[in-house]
Amino acid sequence: MTVIRPSDEYLEQPYYRHLAEGTLHLNCCNDCGAAHHPPSPICPKCRSFNTGWKPASGRATLNSFAEARHAVHPMLGPKVPYVITLVDLEEGVRLVSGIPEGMRFDLKVGMPLECKVIRFDEAFALPYFLPVGEGGA
Amino acid sequence: MKTSIVGLGQTEFSKNSGRSELKLALEAILGALEDAGLEVNDIDGLVRYTWDNTSEAAIVNALGLPSLSYYGETEFGGVNCCGAVAQASAAIEAGLANCVVFYRALNARSGVRFGRGERVLAEEGDWLVSRQPEPPGDIYSAPFGLLVPGQHHALYAQSYMGHYGLDEERFTDMLGGVAVTQRGYANRNPRALLKDKSLSLDDYRAGRVITHPLRIYDYCLETDGAMAMVIVSQEKARELSGKAVDVLAAGQYIFPGSVPMYLYAEKTYSLAPEGAAQQLFGRAGLSASDIDVAMIYDATSMMVPIALEDFGFIGRGEAADFLSSGGNGPGGPLPVNTHGGLLSEGYFHGLNTIAEGVRQLRGDSHNQVEGAETAFVTLRGASSMVLGRA
Repeated sequence: MTVIRPSDEYLEQPYYRHLAEGTLHLNCCNDCGAAHHPPSPICPKCRSFNTGWKPASGRATLNSFAEARHAVHPMLGPKVPYVITLVDLEEGVRLVSGIPEGMRFDLKVGMPLECKVIRFDEAFALPYFLPVGEGGA
Repeated sequence: MKTSIVGLGQTEFSKNSGRSELKLALEAILGALEDAGLEVNDIDGLVRYTWDNTSEAAIVNALGLPSLSYYGETEFGGVNCCGAVAQASAAIEAGLANCVVFYRALNARSGVRFGRGERVLAEEGDWLVSRQPEPPGDIYSAPFGLLVPGQHHALYAQSYMGHYGLDEERFTDMLGGVAVTQRGYANRNPRALLKDKSLSLDDYRAGRVITHPLRIYDYCLETDGAMAMVIVSQEKARELSGKAVDVLAAGQYIFPGSVPMYLYAEKTYSLAPEGAAQQLFGRAGLSASDIDVAMIYDATSMMVPIALEDFGFIGRGEAADFLSSGGNGPGGPLPVNTHGGLLSEGYFHGLNTIAEGVRQLRGDSHNQVEGAETAFVTLRGASSMVLGRA
């Protein structure tokens, strides 16, 4: 699934630029090391403005999931059902993610996951998370 | 707080009001003033959601109000239904205004629908594009198809199921206990959009799944209409007609990752921060066990079990037992959403949730809880209130 993308001004920002280059990076504090998401100009742990980007390990656990069966937009009609997930990364941040189109897994809250970045075009890629051993990172 | 809600006004709930949101707002405001026994020119303050399309200036101009000495806005819509009352009350207690009207007008079914992706996406060629900085439908969640509040609620629901190890059947009976009980209340409420439609547990179980694990009957009704309420000091309320209900405590909360959609909150099966209940009930001088009736903002049925646990009406993980055995129903230990809720009465973005609390304490609910003295109102703990019989 997707037919939905952020507008170009967001794709030009570091989070999506790193993904388009093939890796999930997280906004991290250069002083205390804490990662945070969504990206922010300041570290919410130590309030330092000295933040940068580090590659994520890709290891996560499944916080929750939901299967959208009702299309909330006409262009999503051919895409349902699709699975949305909330994943808790090893680095201590939460991401919204999903299961890639055409894949099905028996999901369970708390199960270990690994990241698989899927590219849609030059400028746009998304971080999906698959059960460990199912073809992720 | 030392304020009271002294007037309620509303239009009918409908799927197509056939009139502008401004007109709906004005009808509701005039109704609320009449109910309070006050003059329109007594209004000197307004509070509204930033999401409302009808500005304070539009109301002042349309009614020819002499002047407002205070107006205030709260963000995130229904999240702040009790926060708006807190804001009105604070303005009154600070001497900024004497008579504050809180209003909400929305053509949320015939106009822009909260349950549709069009609200947050633009069509650009073969793509749908998000420019939203915050959920729902923001640039980090929309690409995965997470677009509308109801899908977020399915995530809370699955998180709750996983955390407490509920199987599908027990989970279904829990939320069925919310939807079926509230429909029963709505069947006895002539205002309710679904007053003529019965709902059995078998009907509920057979309901179409919208976003698993939630069914169509777990979702609130997109509705057209408006509601308004009048808030004055308790002192002033005692001079009025006797319909006053006191605001014993009202407040609002944001903590990291929470409002508006709790995607990044530490817990997704429990939505109020630690201490929210103690603070609210402490301010009211009461405890959860003193509450006679609860109004829980039910954008989906899932909000009911979470709020009951978050505010200590039942223990953690006890909601399935409580709700599947009718604890929220007539004669139960804590009747909940006796108007039918947003699920079955209609959706005035939390104002009708508050209004039913007021009606219970006036003694004129269609599902009156005998001798109700106190009512609790919340949306996920993000804003909450305790009302008391005057």
